[in-house]
Amino acid sequence: MSNNLPKGFEALEPLAEAWGLPTQDARQAKRRASDTATLQEFYDAVVPHLPQILEHVDQFPLGELPPDSMRLFYISLALAEVAPHIELYRGDPGVPYSFEEERFVAVHGAETG
Amino acid sequence: MSTTSEHRWAEKYPDLGQGPVSADVCISQEHHRREIEHVFKKSWLYVAREEEIAAPGSFKCKRLSFADTSVIVMRGKDGKVRGFHNICSHRGNTVVTETGEETFGHSKAAVLTCRFHGWVYGADGALVDVPEEERFYACFDKHANGLSAVATEVWAGFVFVNLAPEPEQNLHDYLGDYGVHMGDYPYSDLTHSYKYYTYLDCNWKIAHDAFAEAYHVTTIHAGSFPNVFSTGLSDVQLFGPHRTCAVCLTMDVEPKPVAATAQKHARGSLVAKGEGTMLPPTINPSGREDFAFELSVAFPNLLLHISEGIWFTHQFWPQAHDKTLWEGKYYVRAPRTNSERWALEHAQLLQRNAWLEDTQTMENTHRAMASGAKQYMNLQDEEILIRHGYHAIAERMDAAE
Repeated sequence: MSNNLPKGFEALEPLAEAWGLPTQDARQAKRRASDTATLQEFYDAVVPHLPQILEHVDQFPLGELPPDSMRLFYISLALAEVAPHIELYRGDPGVPYSFEEERFVAVHGAETG
Repeated sequence: MSTTSEHRWAEKYPDLGQGPVSADVCISQEHHRREIEHVFKKSWLYVAREEEIAAPGSFKCKRLSFADTSVIVMRGKDGKVRGFHNICSHRGNTVVTETGEETFGHSKAAVLTCRFHGWVYGADGALVDVPEEERFYACFDKHANGLSAVATEVWAGFVFVNLAPEPEQNLHDYLGDYGVHMGDYPYSDLTHSYKYYTYLDCNWKIAHDAFAEAYHVTTIHAGSFPNVFSTGLSDVQLFGPHRTCAVCLTMDVEPKPVAATAQKHARGSLVAKGEGTMLPPTINPSGREDFAFELSVAFPNLLLHISEGIWFTHQFWPQAHDKTLWEGKYYVRAPRTNSERWALEHAQLLQRNAWLEDTQTMENTHRAMASGAKQYMNLQDEEILIRHGYHAIAERMDAAE
């Protein structure tokens, strides 16, 4: 599978395979399986690019992203999944003091896009 | 500024009393059996949104295991939504093959066909085709063997069913002033949804109660909503067995970088301030600046919340006295751009995390209550909706027995 990202986002290409995941379930599983250092590294790497990513994806109509832009968008969605754990939960890969996540079923969790 | 009474809701609704509430009603199997009989089998229950069955021939099958049945709600070619038990008149197979608690389908011809032997029913429930009909005997009456109807009515796009053979009230009268209070929100404009469910080892009322107050915000949501403080309920109103209030929250810090970006791109979070209003004039009549969302309960098991740009439901379906199916459904306006889509994902994931915090206490509470070490619960004034819930259930059961 290609890990190419649009021009200007080459710096994020090393993250594409691990974090360019197409479903919410997959992004959640990746976050839960990561340790604090990995989450922090991912967060630190992507946050500086976030405004540019959102600008880039808005050049295309909703849901009509070409493959490399879609991959970039998935990375930004993974950041949405990870950010609360860095910004609110002190790097905890789980939600502190919460119900068991694996029992909490997202009906929409396997949808892509 | 006038001081607000610390007991303002008890003073507004003195009939509810101020005493402790029995814990036994949450753990007793006998109480549960009576609740199913007198409350769940006789109340109007929300089972589908009209958008889920928008086209003629579309149907949804919803399991109601407390009554050992499933209901099919289906839209006919005449546009009307009707409800039926999911059972074939032939030998009792399910007509719709269910794939879980909720099964969706569509029939271009607006018919339902049993997979077992091919009996076909119209969207009005009539039995329209029986393969090898001539081999049945003279006593077989096709007209008397349609699907078994379930009372089905629609309010504000919410499809309700009532399992009573003859409901005591129609849905409009059942909801009464609650229906007026909550009815004018643009639910059908906000159809972009995120849905969760889980099975909880607790009584359904314990799950209901954990969501029906804002007293827990500073403790339970210290993780996901730090620096969000409950500033109390506003405008508590009781409508027969139904209830509502405004939850008021204040936020005292700037959001962190990613959260701030999300808030800039879309209004999809309960802890972000919006502009303008889509709320009907019945909501937040006090004009509170710190209004966050309306928290309402349509008796017995629907929590319906409305806010600017967001509405969401919690439902609690009893499976046993100590087992509950919880469903959380979150609705926002469909995103117009990819960046809005991203921002909604962030808001929705934070809400998921908050729900994970909410559900954390429920099984622990039931397990501890089952010890019998405590005979009652102590409720404060801001827990008035919980007190009213127990009151409404007791009233229904006393009236029936």
